[in-house]
Amino acid sequence: MKPFEVMDCALLMRMSGLPPAMNLRELRDRIAVCDEDVLYHHFCETTLRPTFDDPDYRNDFAVWSKLYLGDRVLAERLGILDPYSFGGMEELRAVVLEIIDDRFGELTMVPWVRSGDEFLFRKSTTVVFDTGERIGDPKGLHRAILRMTNGSVYYHFLEALRRPPAGKDDFSAWLLDGGEEYAAYLRILGSIDYQFHSLAHLREDLARALRRSESGE
Amino acid sequence: MTPRLAAYEAIAGSPAVTQLRRLGEKLAGFRIVHVNSTREGGGVAEILEWMVPLMVDIGLDASWEVVHGNPRFFEITKKLHNALQGRAVDVPKKEWRLYQDVNEENADRLRPLLAEADAVIIHDPQPAYLLKLCPDRKGKWIWRAHIDISRPFRPVWKVLRTIVAGYDASIFSMAEFAMPLPHPQFLVPPSIDPLSEKNRELELSEQDGVRAEFGIDPERPLLVQVSRFDRFKDPIGVIRAYQLVRKVAPVQLVLAGGGATDDPEGKEVLDDVMEAAEGDPDIHVLLLPSNAHKTINALQRIADIVIQKSTREGFGLTVTEGLWKGKPVIGGDVGGIRIQVTNHHTGFLVNTYEGAAHRIRYLLQHPKRAMEMGNAAREFVRENFLLTRHLRDYLALMLTIRSGKGERVIHV
Repeated sequence: MKPFEVMDCALLMRMSGLPPAMNLRELRDRIAVCDEDVLYHHFCETTLRPTFDDPDYRNDFAVWSKLYLGDRVLAERLGILDPYSFGGMEELRAVVLEIIDDRFGELTMVPWVRSGDEFLFRKSTTVVFDTGERIGDPKGLHRAILRMTNGSVYYHFLEALRRPPAGKDDFSAWLLDGGEEYAAYLRILGSIDYQFHSLAHLREDLARALRRSESGE
Repeated sequence: MTPRLAAYEAIAGSPAVTQLRRLGEKLAGFRIVHVNSTREGGGVAEILEWMVPLMVDIGLDASWEVVHGNPRFFEITKKLHNALQGRAVDVPKKEWRLYQDVNEENADRLRPLLAEADAVIIHDPQPAYLLKLCPDRKGKWIWRAHIDISRPFRPVWKVLRTIVAGYDASIFSMAEFAMPLPHPQFLVPPSIDPLSEKNRELELSEQDGVRAEFGIDPERPLLVQVSRFDRFKDPIGVIRAYQLVRKVAPVQLVLAGGGATDDPEGKEVLDDVMEAAEGDPDIHVLLLPSNAHKTINALQRIADIVIQKSTREGFGLTVTEGLWKGKPVIGGDVGGIRIQVTNHHTGFLVNTYEGAAHRIRYLLQHPKRAMEMGNAAREFVRENFLLTRHLRDYLALMLTIRSGKGERVIHV
């Protein structure tokens, strides 16, 4: 097995250039035309942003629907979407638009927000850098994870899901090289539901689960 | 590692500081010049006081320059500042001319340094015109707006826009504060310095001293709001909330602020507050000097609940300070308070004084929950709003603009 190269990343947010959305119709129209990076930011990069880590929903569209549009039905339908389960952002976009269009069919008026509560579209640049750290033995993985920054956890466990091999986190991709010996590790990594974790909690959970599988519990 | 970095590492954690050092290595020798309008006083100078030395500590060639001007120049730039925040002010052509002239004088002095820098960060509108006066610049120029310019006074903005539109990028504290500009607009939230006099750990004896100084009873719960006496901070609403709570609990209230004496509007608000508080010995209205950082620190630490019941707010760093001291915060549902206060986790967002009273009563009845929320609040600030995160954002920004790429992921 080649040593695991520990990378780190920092998120830099920026305005998307799209006008703000004052109501659900405008939200729909902006989602229909925005860059994939805008969708990616509002669905996937929320854990790495300086905001509270444990909101009701992980994506910004669901949070906005609940808090400002006051549409809890729409919030629940958007909130359950797992962005990593789609083939790509275009597939995710199509599903989001369908959910909103279906909701229009149930509503008698277009929900809107007061001034100051508009949805502001953002995107980010992720600056990735090599930490210089290497993990040679999978048995040391849990200890190495405990030392990682939130940026490293995000890059290797979440951001990795969008890179080839698609849908596979970096830890699992590395352990696959080790063959059957690490099957228990792979099972445990696959069982973690990252949707409900802040990065700090995810780090703790990953390390705890790997330690447990190492000791054969 | 420098002693300064080591001191921050002890608070922000080793991974956060290691991350800064690694990013710094990628930018070793990068020449960055910050320019603002004052070396002392005000939020921007407070930021640059720690940011520039820390940039140097991690390997950048960072420096800080200040534009010089006469009192008339600063009167004009104060008007520009107010206009950007929405106040209708008249800035005649001769005042724009003077603004440009003073920038030209400064450009003559600063041009060699600015032209050679890899990046120049111009803070706020005062030195913004320098860009037009340095045509042979080598690096990237970034305009950093520290204030909310989302609803500016249009006639002034139309002129300023022609100046700042020429920059390579701009930085705003929050998406809500930005205005459309023809270049990338980055978002970098502000932060607090945990080692500053306003936020450092205080001995219990120091806290007791402040309690005794203002006659605060240590046996009864204390509510504290720290902010200048301004209608948008709703101090009268805080007194009303206190009065509702007082019917069922023996609470005390401190309203601490400063800077009202030379501000006619502030004086009027302070008079109203004094009138509303009259006759109640448990309401302490404290008009503090601008350098009373330790007193503010102690008041936030001896508080049971920190309040910031604003009806309009910028980022709300007094909220960050309260959260950092491990207090649940009851804040107005506006501006940057929304980013920091999450219901039942770090405090409560409220829209009325009745709502504030309701949440105060809840927290007084559930001290264990209040303590848990306070602990969560402190960790939330440690992760997101200490200067280490602020510096990391700047380093990521420098690496991004240096790469010249607009991709979502940049490998450095």
